[in-house]
Amino acid sequence: MPARGKPRPGGPPLSAAELRFLRALVRAKVDFMIVGLSAAALQGAPVVTQDVDLWFRDLNDPRLHRTLRKVGSGILEPVGLNPPVLLGEGVDLFDLVTHMHGLEGFAEEMKHAVRISLGSFRVPVLPLDRVIASKRALGRPKDELYLRVLADTRKAVRRR
Amino acid sequence: MERIRSLSRARGMTVTSALAKAGVSRNAFYSLARRDSILPRTLRALGAGLGVEPEALLTRDDPRAEAMKALLAEVEAIARRHPGVDRENVRHALLLLKRKPIERLRLALARAR
Repeated sequence: MPARGKPRPGGPPLSAAELRFLRALVRAKVDFMIVGLSAAALQGAPVVTQDVDLWFRDLNDPRLHRTLRKVGSGILEPVGLNPPVLLGEGVDLFDLVTHMHGLEGFAEEMKHAVRISLGSFRVPVLPLDRVIASKRALGRPKDELYLRVLADTRKAVRRR
Repeated sequence: MERIRSLSRARGMTVTSALAKAGVSRNAFYSLARRDSILPRTLRALGAGLGVEPEALLTRDDPRAEAMKALLAEVEAIARRHPGVDRENVRHALLLLKRKPIERLRLALARAR
C-alpha cells in the first residue's frame, strides 16, 4: 500500500505530496513560478500535459535546497544534454526550468505573474500571454499544435 | 401557450377549435397561460383533445440545457468578435473557467495519463 500522500499509480494527478511540495516552496518564499502548459491549464486552456514546469530564479537558492531537503528531495545536476531534474517521490511530476525562450528574465516576468489558488495557498503562474510568447519563440512542432488553442483561450478569458 | 398553438396547428386546428374540442373555455385557457401553476383538469382535457399526454403540453426547463445555451451564446459572442476563432476551443476554455484552477490542472494532467 502506498505511503500516505505519495502519488499512486492510477491515483489522482497532483497528489497531496505534490501539493505539499508546492506549498512548501511558497511558504519558504522560493522565487519560482509555474510555466508552460500547466500554467495555461490553470488559466483555463483545454490542453494536455504530462508535467508541471517550474521556473526558478536561481537553482542554487538556499531556500530551495532547504525546502527540497524538507520533502526528502534533491536536484540531480545536468547529465549530458539533459537539464537538471528533481529527485524523489512527490516531486517527479515537476520539471525544472532555468530559462524561458522569448521572454524577459525571471525578475521581470515575475512582476507580471498571476497568483492562482491551489486550495490553501496561491502559486505564481506565468500569464497566458507570456506562455503564448514563449511557445511562439520555441516554434517546436508540438508547441505549434497548442498555439491555436492557447490563442483561442486568451480570447475567451478576455471576454470574461 | 406556444406549445399548444403548435400542437393544434400540427393537427390542422386553431387554438380556438382545440379549446372547443376539449371543452375548455377561452377564459380558462388564458388563465392557464398566465399562471405559473397549472390546473391539471384543464391540462388533461387539453391533452385529450389534442391526443397527447398532458405532460407533452408542458415545456420542461432543464437547467443543464439552459446553462449550456448560455455558454454557447457566450461562445457565439466571442466568435463574432474574433472571426476565425475555433468555437470548440472557446467552449472548452469557458467550461474549464467554471472550474477551480486546481481542477483544471488535474484534468490536463489526467488526460495526459
